Amino acid sequence: MLQEFRMPDAGEGLTEAEVLSWRVAVGDVVTVNQVLLEVETAKAAVELPSPYAGTVVDLLAEPGEVVPVGQPIIRIDDGRADEVPAESAPGSARAGETDAPGAGPAAPSPDRGTAEPAAPQRQAVLVGYGVRAEQAPRRRPRITPHGVDHVEPGPPGEPARPVRHGGLELGRTLERRLGDAQVLAKPPVRRLARDLSVDLAEVVPTGPGGTITHEDVTRAASGEHVRHPAPTAIAPAPVEGGSEVVPLSHVARMMGRAMTASAFTAPHVTEWVDVDVTAMSALIRAARQRPDLAELTITPLTFAALGLVRAAREHPRINASLDESGDNLLVHRSVHLGVAVDSPRGLVVPRIAEAQVLDLRGMADALGRLVETARSGRSRPEDLRGSTITLTNVGVFGVDGGTPILNSGEVAILALGRVVARPWVVDGLVVARDVVTLALSFDHRVVDGALGSRVLRDVADFLADPATALALG
Amino acid sequence: MAKALNTGLALAMGQDEKVLVMGEDVGRLGGVFRVTDGLQATFGEDRVIDTPLAESGIIGTAVGLAMRGYAPVAEIQFDGFIFPAFDQITTQVARLHLRSAGALTMRIVIRVPNGGGIGAVEHHSESPEAYFAHTPGLRIVTPSNPADAFAMIRQAIAHPDPILFLEPKRRYWDKAEVDVDAPLAALPELFRARVLRRGHDATLLCWGPMVRTCLDAAEADARDLEVIDARSLAPLDLPTIVESVTRTGRLIVVHEAPVVGGLGAEVAASVTSECFYQLEAPVLRVGGFHAPYPPARIEDVYLPDLDRILEAVDRAMAY
Amino acid sequence: MAIDGGPELVQLLTPEGVLVGHPEYHLELSPQQWRDRYRDLVMVRRLDAEATALQRHGELGLWAPCQGQEAAQVGAGRATRPTDRIFPTYREHGMAYVRGVDPVTLLGLFRGTTLGGWDPADHGFSLYTVVIGDQTLHAVGYAMGIQRDGTDDAVLVCFGDGASSQGDVAESFVYATVNDAPVVFFCQNNQWAISEPLERQTRIPLFKRAAGYGFPGVRVDGNDVLAVEAVVTAALDRARRGDGPTLVEAFTYRMGAHTTSDDPTRYRTTAEGEAWKLKDPIERVRAHLVRSGLADAAFLTEVDEQAEALGVHMREACRAMPDPEPTSMFDDVYAEPHPVIDRDRAWLAHYLAGFADSGRGH
Repeated sequence: MLQEFRMPDAGEGLTEAEVLSWRVAVGDVVTVNQVLLEVETAKAAVELPSPYAGTVVDLLAEPGEVVPVGQPIIRIDDGRADEVPAESAPGSARAGETDAPGAGPAAPSPDRGTAEPAAPQRQAVLVGYGVRAEQAPRRRPRITPHGVDHVEPGPPGEPARPVRHGGLELGRTLERRLGDAQVLAKPPVRRLARDLSVDLAEVVPTGPGGTITHEDVTRAASGEHVRHPAPTAIAPAPVEGGSEVVPLSHVARMMGRAMTASAFTAPHVTEWVDVDVTAMSALIRAARQRPDLAELTITPLTFAALGLVRAAREHPRINASLDESGDNLLVHRSVHLGVAVDSPRGLVVPRIAEAQVLDLRGMADALGRLVETARSGRSRPEDLRGSTITLTNVGVFGVDGGTPILNSGEVAILALGRVVARPWVVDGLVVARDVVTLALSFDHRVVDGALGSRVLRDVADFLADPATALALG
Repeated sequence: MAKALNTGLALAMGQDEKVLVMGEDVGRLGGVFRVTDGLQATFGEDRVIDTPLAESGIIGTAVGLAMRGYAPVAEIQFDGFIFPAFDQITTQVARLHLRSAGALTMRIVIRVPNGGGIGAVEHHSESPEAYFAHTPGLRIVTPSNPADAFAMIRQAIAHPDPILFLEPKRRYWDKAEVDVDAPLAALPELFRARVLRRGHDATLLCWGPMVRTCLDAAEADARDLEVIDARSLAPLDLPTIVESVTRTGRLIVVHEAPVVGGLGAEVAASVTSECFYQLEAPVLRVGGFHAPYPPARIEDVYLPDLDRILEAVDRAMAY
Repeated sequence: MAIDGGPELVQLLTPEGVLVGHPEYHLELSPQQWRDRYRDLVMVRRLDAEATALQRHGELGLWAPCQGQEAAQVGAGRATRPTDRIFPTYREHGMAYVRGVDPVTLLGLFRGTTLGGWDPADHGFSLYTVVIGDQTLHAVGYAMGIQRDGTDDAVLVCFGDGASSQGDVAESFVYATVNDAPVVFFCQNNQWAISEPLERQTRIPLFKRAAGYGFPGVRVDGNDVLAVEAVVTAALDRARRGDGPTLVEAFTYRMGAHTTSDDPTRYRTTAEGEAWKLKDPIERVRAHLVRSGLADAAFLTEVDEQAEALGVHMREACRAMPDPEPTSMFDDVYAEPHPVIDRDRAWLAHYLAGFADSGRGH
């Protein structure tokens, strides 16, 4: 019977050895423990004795060759008849006791079943460590589907439901009994529910294991009553030619509710001013020439944001909310700037938190990311709330301004119009200058004309000469 | 990796004459894993010291040397033998800087080959990092690959705080390209984790010997798995980990040490605090079972492998 | 380094196989006992050689050879009574053999199929301790237990020259001496602790350390089975009488490597080994047997055949050793049921059963 001797791990975790010299040749008769060859490992030069007595049939490695642990290095015919590999004990099929001449590397033991594994398995040649399979490591196929440990028959009349052993960290089984009063929802879903004022106990769960999904919550939100009593829409009279029914998206419905709440609670006053922003335009052009600013998009919106935030710091009462009682003004310590963005879902107002710490680059970067995120529909729920003052850029649509409606809970909102060349008087002469209109709406319950005007003027002054303002602080 | 460590040690010793190497068999033999090979011949017996066979003695005298202004790089020959030195490490090394109000600098590196998977007998396959991460005053780092080993040993030696330097012994013979000319200042930060593989579905956080295993698992799986090499265990680079989990929403921590009371628990608690609203699944841990490291013949069942890691990914994704 | 053990070395059989007297120590062996000692030595050497080869075959992850130390271990082991307790390190294969432990039992630890391998009560021989020196404290505690039981059993604890530097060993001397514990500290000074020679561990002969703690120390030729047995017997008698501990330093040589992972050519010369070969423990006994007519050629051949049979037995038994069941790692972690153990065991069993293929390859 042909026995293979495979390169052993001679020193606790070695992975290979270099053949130094053979002490035997093909045809030699060898006894057990006779030295066959000398090898060099990372730690030592080692003589390898023969596990078998018999005749050397084949030397499988050359002097100088580096052989991985587990690879056969010599074949010896031990003179015994070839046998069926019946009684090799589990795990003892090592170091060359293959079952047939030239058998595959994975010498099977009785409880392994198939003789030729389809994929090369890890060839555990020696005690403990052994050699990684030659191919890229692959996953052993599992019987049970991912994450589901068994399917439990449901109550009479209901379909079978999989029971997830979700809490199976090292065997700790968390069996959730469906049907009790406990609400199953993950933290991100619970947060969303809170943001949308949805009561989880009333949501129909459709997730695995009876959990409430993100969609379940947003669906429920569309059917919720809004807390603010808002006048409902008047039933429209039918129009000649008929009308197509276009269901409003969730976002659109939410926008409608928010606008209603805001407009019919807070007395809105809007003031506007036109500003000569020629200097700002020059600054923007200069910025675009700078290679180190190439990745940032610096636009009039950037400066409007900076200007509004500065004004909010200068006049804290514009960065505030009226509390529910109507008796207290909550002046916010941070400026979380809401920016209205037209997204595929409709109008969304994500915010830049702590906008007061941002310099020009920081603001450009934050705005860039905010707009990109919102336009791709990926704004997170927590970013869609909590702003303290808002900026809306109507200039991108090519208009000059308007009467923006306050973002619910805030007391001011600034609309930035388009920058367009207009006749302007400079030193007594009419010249063409870049001009933009700013329109500020504010809640006249708590912001009077003086404050509103000062805020608007400060923003205008900033935009008129942002470089000086930024340089001098 | 053994050679990378050796090269890094030689460089550090050549640059700073206060750096000493001390431990059992580190001098003439060059270390049982040859990590200190040739150092005694180059730098002499005064700087590369074969110590008497006593771990408490190794660390205790290292403390004294550090007090005198030296920078000893002490070796504990195997992870399972660190315990006689546990007292000196936790009560002295970790505290003398504090107790002396900064007057005493414990510029000590304690090198320890650790981890299993080499078919060894008892006490040669342990992962004791949790005991020491629990000890304020100590820092712990662990390279997973030869390039990091080279960089990190130099940085650890240069650092004024005491650093436990865990070397994954089953990776000692891994080979990789190492830039041995890189100046110290240009090396990546020592106490930072590194995202090795970007993904979207889940984050695998690992260190030392498990890094290669996790990379293999990520390669073998169709899902998009992010793999982070923690590199620094104390302090943990939480910002990197949190940033990742914020994106993926799922974290699986993989370590050889037993799960109960293991460092994965610390990561899980911290990440849950920071990323609660981003977590799509609880933080899962894959590690050793609650039994002493088993006989070598079944160590492959005990140690996390590709299948165990992916099984945990299955569970995380099922939420 | 010193080859000879100095003037205080107790020797009763020279390397050439000549009996010599000693003022203090004396032992008469019958012809049968001599032949038994010889057989023991040969079997132990063969056991050790076979295990070393098995490691090179890939059957064991590691082996710590005791080659050269056979006489120290056989002599000390033969000095003990069946009811005594021995605390070995991880190299006392010779002592295990004479105490009746099947050599195959020793292989499990090194093959990685067990963390222990036997019940200490079976042969009065404790499990191997891999952490250096820990067993010395255990031995003293055990001896303190014997004292409280009131029997005249004694304890023999083994440790090496390297271990003598460990804190635990120093502490065990303290505990033994203040308690007059019935323990014999048997130090096999084989000159090397991996690559560190004796001079890195001590400035004085090890046996003199005992004086500092207040108990006697004696150095014996560790390659002289007769002297070792004589000295250890005397020390055990001292312990049984209640006179306290003794340090017996068996001056010998580690002919092989520290373990199969070690490469002694990196730190010591072959000349040293050659010099010690001249003091071979087995050769001197063979010479004595032949010269004194205590054994004939037939006997010597018979012993060689027995050694060969032992070799075959060890090889076959080693290869047949079953791997432990994966969940066995949880057995006996605790004496009482434990919820975390139950949980982990159940999970592992469930996990392993979930593979579509059979067997453990991965």
